[in-house]
Amino acid sequence: MAARAFADRHRYWLLILPALAAMLIFYVWPLIQIFAISFTEPTTGFGNYVELLSSRAIRTSFVITFRVAALTTVGCLLLGYVVAYAIYNTRARYVGLMLMLVLLPFWLSVLVRSFAWIVLLGRGGVVNDALIGLGLIDRPLALMHNEFGVLIAMVHVMLPYAVLPLMANMKGIDPSYVAAARGLGASELTAFRQVYLPQTLPGIFSAALLVFVISLGFYITPALLGGGRVLMISEYITYQIQEFLKWGLGTALSVALLVATAAVILAAARFVNLRKTLLERG
Amino acid sequence: MEDQAFRTDLAEIAAQRFRRGEIDRRSLLKLLGALGLVPLIGSDKAFADAKELVLVNWGGEPSKVLQKVMGDTFTAETGVKVTVDGSGPSAGKIRAMVESGAVVWDVCDSGPGSAIIMGNQGVATPIDYSIVDKSKVIDGFTWEYGVANYMYSYVLCCNTQMLKETPKTWADVWNVKDFPGKRTFRKSVRGMLETAAMAMGAKPQEVYDFLKDEKGIKAAIAKFHELREHIIVWSSGSASQDLFLQNEVAIGCIWSTRAQLLRDQMPAGGFSVTFNEGVLSPGAWVVPKNNPAGAELAMKFIAHTQDPKLQVEWLKLIGSGPANPAAAAMVPDELKAWDPSSPEHMATQTVYNDDWYAKNQVKAEELYIDALIN
Repeated sequence: MAARAFADRHRYWLLILPALAAMLIFYVWPLIQIFAISFTEPTTGFGNYVELLSSRAIRTSFVITFRVAALTTVGCLLLGYVVAYAIYNTRARYVGLMLMLVLLPFWLSVLVRSFAWIVLLGRGGVVNDALIGLGLIDRPLALMHNEFGVLIAMVHVMLPYAVLPLMANMKGIDPSYVAAARGLGASELTAFRQVYLPQTLPGIFSAALLVFVISLGFYITPALLGGGRVLMISEYITYQIQEFLKWGLGTALSVALLVATAAVILAAARFVNLRKTLLERG
Repeated sequence: MEDQAFRTDLAEIAAQRFRRGEIDRRSLLKLLGALGLVPLIGSDKAFADAKELVLVNWGGEPSKVLQKVMGDTFTAETGVKVTVDGSGPSAGKIRAMVESGAVVWDVCDSGPGSAIIMGNQGVATPIDYSIVDKSKVIDGFTWEYGVANYMYSYVLCCNTQMLKETPKTWADVWNVKDFPGKRTFRKSVRGMLETAAMAMGAKPQEVYDFLKDEKGIKAAIAKFHELREHIIVWSSGSASQDLFLQNEVAIGCIWSTRAQLLRDQMPAGGFSVTFNEGVLSPGAWVVPKNNPAGAELAMKFIAHTQDPKLQVEWLKLIGSGPANPAAAAMVPDELKAWDPSSPEHMATQTVYNDDWYAKNQVKAEELYIDALIN
């Protein structure tokens, strides 16, 4: 028996070996090099990190990056929760259709979706034209080329990342709990708040984590819709690497972003059981 | 540096011209095919052999024009086969290539800023001025690791339908009271601080004098900080064009090649362009270190491109101005208004100073971003 269990364990290792090797060669090794460059270019030492800390532009860019990611997360959770909840409480025949509508934007590139927002939110865009046509405003609103426009588009792009974990979570919730609460006299709101919502917390956390972490690395949408005043840190990194050949500062910024992201995940781990949230949800 | 984006932009202009039917489908398809042939670093087959010269630019129509105007004529003269690769010789790619020991490019359509950076990092070959003729380049546009190949300008443009009066100088552009509306400037400091200096009264010829020390730079940066609420930046040539087409901005500082396109696209009389207080910029040939065809052949090719007749042809087909001063006299009358480096236009413009950029750009860039986002 023991020998067989041992062999089993080996078999599973063999199965993941190719993936593990690919990770080591194409992810871990380059990552180590990035780490090394940040300490060796242009001179050995902490120079790049000192520059990073002393630059107000970089500090502001980090603040913008985390603010945009956080606000996007809040927006996605609010909208995503409602959508996921609605999908699980509609008649079964529409579930497929609704799921498809959620996933549809995934099939379009982020670039295309961002350009679509430009068409909608511009001074002469559909939204402004409609509002002016209805007589609600007399001059175009500034819906774009600012953080507001960025957030609208970011929430749109990120929404499926919130809906999917929430749905996976809600799928595993037994409706009889809420029914029981109702049967015992709880109002609909109380039953939701005290019985349903606590059960969806793991889904909320994994959705929040997923949306937040992916948003941190985003820059195409902010670059297109931010008018230049919403500078995400990854755009700053691209600039240093591609244009100035300042690979030292570029890699130091990457390391800083990685560390900051890891810190967020670790902080989240203090409040939630990550293993449970991410691996055993529902 | 400035040039990377500018060149990619030329490719986009070409795509537009195709849509308007100015270039035939076969040529465009041929080009797209050529783009698929981008050599892979490390593959033996990709190494250019000695009888072949590989030019690299930013794709699209300019690749085709480069092949036809400069490449084929060089082949006719020397028998050396010339191939154009449109995959974009960014400084980052050239450095990666040189450092991995697998250089497949011979002559790159880069810029003086990149040339200086690459020279400093030891990944470019010095230009051999015993083969390349300095006297065939407008004064000041030769560097140790690069030599001007063509010229373009940053110019003041206005959507005149959105304005009661048309701003004529950068001082007007900073006057938001009399000239209301959003302005667009480049997302990078290149060609931009110059406009702020002129807005503060520096004559085009004195711009870099004004910006020579920290005090001048800080003043120009503060000027942008003051205007930031009215600024929408453009990061690509097509974006600058869209901002005007969609009436997002009333005023802008954009590339002359894009302004030329806008003149035809905006309603008649609804758009104005002036080379007054423009910033004239050069592109540059750069030869990567250890290029496969050897430095000498690369230099001979560069010397070949200095022929003013070929350069006028280039202006005709692509809209970028000749780098050889002898070409100005050969430019046909109807194109003169759009030749960024004509003597008339040179007199009213400031000339992009790469030494200044080599010294100050990285710092200025950070301050510029800081001024816009804070």
